[in-house]
Amino acid sequence: MTIRLEGKGVTVTFGDMFRKVEAVKNIDVALHAGQTIGIVGESGSGKSTLARVLAGIQVPTSGEVFYEGTNIWQGKVSYPGEMRKKVQMVFQDPYGSLNPRMRVVNAVAEAVKFHQNADGEQARQLALDLLERMGIAKNDAIKLPRALSGGQRQRVSVARALSANPEVLIADEPTSAIDQSAQSQLLSLFSELITDGLSVILVSHDLGVIRYLTDRVYVMESGDFVEAGDTAQIFEDPQMEYTQKLISSIPGHKKLKS
Amino acid sequence: MSNNALVDIDSLQISVKLSRTRRLKIVDYASMKINPGEMIGLIGESGSGKTMLCRALIGTLRRRDAYISGGSVMFDGMDLATAKNDVWRQVRGKRIGYVPQSALAGPNPVLTIEAQLLESLGGDETLSRADAKKRAKELLDIVQIRRPDIVMKQYPNQLSGGMKQRVMIACAIALQPELIVADEPTTGLDVTVQAEIMKLLKEIRDQFNTAIILVSHDLPLINDVCDRITVMHAGATVENITSAEIEKSKHPYTIALYKSRIDLAPPRGQLITIAGQPPAVGAWQTGCRFNQRCDFVTDACLIGEHPKYIELSPTHQTACINHAGIEAKIGSSL
Repeated sequence: MTIRLEGKGVTVTFGDMFRKVEAVKNIDVALHAGQTIGIVGESGSGKSTLARVLAGIQVPTSGEVFYEGTNIWQGKVSYPGEMRKKVQMVFQDPYGSLNPRMRVVNAVAEAVKFHQNADGEQARQLALDLLERMGIAKNDAIKLPRALSGGQRQRVSVARALSANPEVLIADEPTSAIDQSAQSQLLSLFSELITDGLSVILVSHDLGVIRYLTDRVYVMESGDFVEAGDTAQIFEDPQMEYTQKLISSIPGHKKLKS
Repeated sequence: MSNNALVDIDSLQISVKLSRTRRLKIVDYASMKINPGEMIGLIGESGSGKTMLCRALIGTLRRRDAYISGGSVMFDGMDLATAKNDVWRQVRGKRIGYVPQSALAGPNPVLTIEAQLLESLGGDETLSRADAKKRAKELLDIVQIRRPDIVMKQYPNQLSGGMKQRVMIACAIALQPELIVADEPTTGLDVTVQAEIMKLLKEIRDQFNTAIILVSHDLPLINDVCDRITVMHAGATVENITSAEIEKSKHPYTIALYKSRIDLAPPRGQLITIAGQPPAVGAWQTGCRFNQRCDFVTDACLIGEHPKYIELSPTHQTACINHAGIEAKIGSSL
């Protein structure tokens, strides 16, 4: 399998010369084609920072990120040119990531125009098709974001990310701000996308989501990976105390065992 | 159910004032009972009226321009639906404690933790200031905050989310209320912190025999920690069932919620989703309000009023008129 996205020795330090916080400490991570990896950990463990580094929106203090062997940073620009389309990101907050004055079909069409060289009516039609695939019908697509539920908005965000036909999708806590029933709808969608060949990096503190979607899981504690392995294996037989604590905190965990 | 329930909410209706003449009913047919020392979970989707029901219990509906437009909320023999301010002053904080949803924004940012605890203790006029300070420290001990002396002098921005929520719980139990209303106390907190907060609530219940209403939209969580579960959908309570019997649910909505748990699904397997959206607040269709999303819908579901509770056993009420047929249709597939 080819390695799609790879981080080598990624370190991120925040703060000034007096107080330094190492949010991510010398981490190696690799995403193979068609694979789904999960990054789990508590708040403040550095998982979002790592995701941002991989997406090219956070400059690492040291270390490098490669997309199919090419360094993503060319001078001061990350993912220059066509490369940008290959890796896309979905953010945590569905309420803050859409322009409140823009109808969702136009919000998606804007991304389509940028990525696919389409214009006007053609872009709009492509946007509608894309939204349809995400489970948003035309009568919802012409609404403003405020008229949609959190789950629907998150699907619009996914549609925007997919408008570039990416190879890799980085999702930072995509389900944490939405209801349980909306969550299962979104997860079904992700599951379909993965089956269609998309590689996904999923950042979450919800181990239920991680267990459901990922092939491989990295457990992160204060900037470092404490455990990594196949998802099924980690959930079956966690080695580290920290991982055991995380797994035993899942509601309904005892019933799962029995 | 026993007659000496601590709280007995019966067909409660809550409306909001939209303008001088327009009113919108946002809760209708909500009924639940809470016994002393019982931990009860209230579950439902966003907008199903969970928070409004909580507000009715602590008398803060008016801040949202809402009011109780029908039904009754009996608390230990008093009807809170018609209670005046002087009654509320004797109840709110003293007999019913409240843990708000937003742990992070809960405590007042410009007051020290000590000042906030003393304010909560202020409802007890017999307590001298020195005693109150001593008691405040005890409260921090109860909620398992380490180094209470230091934390007392700190401001909320110096505490983590989990600690802030512990402080809010300390404020809620300050005067040893008989009932604590915890409105999604762990939203925005980590799974590990969530597990700790739940353990703490359970310990408080065991130690002081406090009844607790835990509001959440996380069914596995509620099922884990609560004795009984009340399910709300579109402003109405649709089922009341014990946690142990959740698998014998007789309401399609509860069944769907239970089945959509991702922790039970095989990895990347078929997830069961509840079709569609809940009906818009107040714009409820005739008949059962779940009839657009239900797998077992019949003609009888589409007409008339939203069904009232049907008593199946003393601990199990459902609002599904087809409850007898559900079992035949799904068998033991739950």
